[in-house]
Amino acid sequence: MGQYIQNPALWVLLAVILVAVAVVVRQRRAARKLQREIAGLRNHYGELEASYSESVHKAQQQAEGETRSALKSAMRTLQGLAAEQQRIISGLQTKYGDSVILQDLLEIDHMNAQFGRRAQSIAVLCEGWLGRHRDVASVYDVVRSAQGRIRHFQRVQILSKVDFGITSRAVEPVALALSELLDNATSYSSPDTVVEINVRTVPKGVCIVVDDAGVGMNEEEKARAEKLLTSERVTGVSGLGNPPQFGFAVIGVLCERFGFTVSVDSTSPYGGVRAVVLLPDELITSMPEPKEPQEEREPAPAVAPESPMPETGPEPSTLPVSMTADGLPRRRRKRPMTLVSTDQSSSPAPKRSSQETAALMAAFKQGTDAGRATHPDTTERQSGARDASSEGHEVS
Amino acid sequence: MTEPDKQEPETAQLVRSYVITNGRNLPGEDQFSLITLVTASADHQQRPARLSPEEQKLLEMCVGGYLSVAEIAGHTQLPLGVVKILLAALSEGGYLITRPPVERAPLATMEILEEVLNGLRTKFG
Repeated sequence: MGQYIQNPALWVLLAVILVAVAVVVRQRRAARKLQREIAGLRNHYGELEASYSESVHKAQQQAEGETRSALKSAMRTLQGLAAEQQRIISGLQTKYGDSVILQDLLEIDHMNAQFGRRAQSIAVLCEGWLGRHRDVASVYDVVRSAQGRIRHFQRVQILSKVDFGITSRAVEPVALALSELLDNATSYSSPDTVVEINVRTVPKGVCIVVDDAGVGMNEEEKARAEKLLTSERVTGVSGLGNPPQFGFAVIGVLCERFGFTVSVDSTSPYGGVRAVVLLPDELITSMPEPKEPQEEREPAPAVAPESPMPETGPEPSTLPVSMTADGLPRRRRKRPMTLVSTDQSSSPAPKRSSQETAALMAAFKQGTDAGRATHPDTTERQSGARDASSEGHEVS
Repeated sequence: MTEPDKQEPETAQLVRSYVITNGRNLPGEDQFSLITLVTASADHQQRPARLSPEEQKLLEMCVGGYLSVAEIAGHTQLPLGVVKILLAALSEGGYLITRPPVERAPLATMEILEEVLNGLRTKFG
């Protein structure tokens, strides 16, 4: 053992070991420190990445929101203008109904409706205003309203009707969605084909079936349409493609908001696309009462108690025109046109007795005869005239 | 409808006139005047279901007897031209019979009147 202690090699070895241990400890400590630093850096990097994507997302959303609100307010203005113009055109159509201008007015009206629809579609995508409140309307009228909003509306034929109405809340969205379907149907089929609409009642509500004889849709288009109609809603106007395809995006948003469904997966018997709009029972109501009979029914009870009288009475023309149960005017025999009657209506007739009148007329007749001073046999005619005039007076 | 609906005093018709007429053109000036009389033809008592509600209403209105175009327009509250287009389509389809207004009697010429007067004078005078 002693000899080992005295061996310098041992000391050298010991020193080397000590140095090595110190170095190892130091290296370990440095490595640990480095590792800690790396972890910190990694965290920091992650945080940075997250905040970066977050801010990008936020900026995207903000930009989209801004676009949306800008478009929304712009479309609101356009929709208002289109609606106002529609009212003015309606007024003009009534005003110039008998003129050849009407033809042009009808065309302008058609253009205006298309313009209004496009503004409405964009507004729907931007979660905007859909349009003015509508009254309950029959399914048939809603379909025709949709028909009027597309360019080639003459190619649309409505083959069947149901006796149901659509609730006032759903009138405008259903009309808009259907007009988008009809627009697709007419634009993707040849101009000489007809687009057929069938309306059917089904256990779940009412179906509006649109069949076209067009080119149909390929798998990709079908998948895109189905995605837009069922799961993936579009917000804003981004992602509509170039050129933008509004149709299914608009319909999808409307379906979600108002609770009806549209499907386009089946093929039409004419080789084109068959689209089916299913309106659930919540959106269906009974047929709306026609407006005009309601207005006409008002005066009818007022006339009814009097109506037996004119049959016997001599003066039917002074009564208001009564209506039959169908709302047709009840024809009465016209009163003979006499100059006497108009004179009497202006004079206070009931105050005079028939004898006074006879005396007056006699005096008038005498005066006339005296002025003429002709044949002596006029006295006979005079009495005849007196009778006639007094009789006529009593009658009225 | 995120924003509350504004109730306008007047709401435009839901179904526009050009849809009711199905884009047809106005009939000729001479075919329908305000006082042309129209009635439903007798051999079409059962109406086809394919007619629009407006056309059916017009037919119903005309079943009772002759009505003038102006009267019909007044009752339907449609623009006069629209009524004319519908009536033209219906009479083309054979559902309606039209009767043009009676032509105004031509004024008698002075010569004839004078001759009559002379004749009367020679006979009774």
